[in-house]
Amino acid sequence: MTQGNSNVMVRFDRVGKRYPSGREALSGINFDLERGEFAFLTGHSGAGKSTLLKLMMLMERSSRGQIFVDGLNLSRLRPSQIPYLRRKIGVVFQNHQLLFDRSVYENVALPLQIAGYTPAEAGRRVRAALDSVGLLGMEKRNPIELSGGEQQRVGIARAVVNKPPLLLADEPTGNLDPELSAEIMNLFMRFQQVGVTVLIATHDIALVERLGHRRLILDHGQLHEGHLTAGGQYV
Amino acid sequence: MSEVRRKPAAKTNDKRAQDKQSAGASLQKIGKRKRLSSWGAHHQLVAVETLLRLLKNPLASLLTWMVVAIALTLPGALWMALDNMQQFSGRFQESGRISVYLQPGTETVQGRELTQRIDQLPGVAKTEFIDADTALEDFRRNSGLDAALDFLPENPLPSVILVEPPLQLPHAELMNLVTQLKSYQLVDSVQMDMAWLERLQAILDLSERLIWVLGILLALAILLVVGNTIRLAIAARVDEIRVVKLVGGTDAWVRRPFLYTGLWYGMVGGLLAWLLLILCWVLLQGPVSQLAELYGSGFTLKPLSAGAAMILLLAAMLLGWLGAWWSVSRHLGEIEP
Repeated sequence: MTQGNSNVMVRFDRVGKRYPSGREALSGINFDLERGEFAFLTGHSGAGKSTLLKLMMLMERSSRGQIFVDGLNLSRLRPSQIPYLRRKIGVVFQNHQLLFDRSVYENVALPLQIAGYTPAEAGRRVRAALDSVGLLGMEKRNPIELSGGEQQRVGIARAVVNKPPLLLADEPTGNLDPELSAEIMNLFMRFQQVGVTVLIATHDIALVERLGHRRLILDHGQLHEGHLTAGGQYV
Repeated sequence: MSEVRRKPAAKTNDKRAQDKQSAGASLQKIGKRKRLSSWGAHHQLVAVETLLRLLKNPLASLLTWMVVAIALTLPGALWMALDNMQQFSGRFQESGRISVYLQPGTETVQGRELTQRIDQLPGVAKTEFIDADTALEDFRRNSGLDAALDFLPENPLPSVILVEPPLQLPHAELMNLVTQLKSYQLVDSVQMDMAWLERLQAILDLSERLIWVLGILLALAILLVVGNTIRLAIAARVDEIRVVKLVGGTDAWVRRPFLYTGLWYGMVGGLLAWLLLILCWVLLQGPVSQLAELYGSGFTLKPLSAGAAMILLLAAMLLGWLGAWWSVSRHLGEIEP
């Protein structure tokens, strides 16, 4: 399902999500993310940040409204098509979701293996991805030996190794000190600079304010838009 | 709610990042042929990986393999036994003939004449005349009662005509033939070996049915054992399955290693069952030949034929695969990122 405006990477159109328990996690969500845009998603814990990201990955289905990702109408996607949607989206988690029964290299190579790359081609891309997060030379290590910041960077390398057009991150700096957090954010901004659309959910307001990008604010399931003005206020 | 659209930030001249991501952010399309060959390569990789994984944990794997092997050996051994019995009864079928005993004192010439007349009857395929003296000679040779026979004043054996009806002669015609044979004056009695053969055949048919029932029950047992083993394997790899699904692994991709694991359980179990059956044969073959010899028969125990062994192996692989499939389809859906 393609959509008229090919400049739009993500579109939420009056999206609502009600969990079976009856809790209204999101309601009336409208926003667009253009290709190559960088935005933060903030809000108090429980405001619906994770739910919003999960809707884009089809880890959850929306109850109302329509979501488009890279021209795909998610409400019309069959379960068998979900893997191909997820291949378009790189995703980074707070707990990085690395597998400790295999090396850094094998962790990062997993999306390529799944997408059917030859080992030689995968090897080149894995090294390029590890280089871009500053971990070249760590391929053979087990991620469990790495520091928290390094593990997070392995997670980012895995998210971008397939060169997805959209990169989502859910509290990627949640466990890191401010210095490492800034480093990780710089990494994300570098990916935006080469054309990746980036959306980062975080509650690290200080960091968000310092970086000054577009900001989507969730409050009790409702979306408010804001961006930093000279006076330090959100409009 | 206002929709705010902003221009993406301009690309900078960050040389390093651009080099690494020179293809931009577009999802790279992979050619169909390349995809197919990498699909094949993944099958090979998974096949080898899963086998190595099983061999890395030999004791746990051996347990499942032995259960599969024993569950297959049981019906396999019965099948082997039945196969031998059928060969045994087949031999009798060929000699399923009518013995026509002539009155004592019948002259050889008369016997030959009657034999020729019987040979012309409908429902007779073959005849053979054995006169009393030849019968005695045969008996002397085979019975080992040589010395005892010398004490008898005269030959106690009658002449006999062996009449062989064609195979598959209808029962009614057979009975007509017997009545006809009995009506000759020279004939003392007529004996037919059919009744006990029919009983033997019925017993064999019943045994075959029993083996099927037993086989099906044990096949179900294999499904359950492999299914349960695979369930444990899935539980041990929940994290991996979650991550694979997150980064775009299809259900088929997630299923593949477990299906191969099931296939290996079946295949190695089948090979072990084959070995066990050969062992059974080696252990039994000597005593069976000895016993047969005591009965004056050249019967020997046949091992399982290569064809039957292949069927056994393929069935084992199929069962292992099905057990894995059953378990995977039940449990994989529950694991979602």
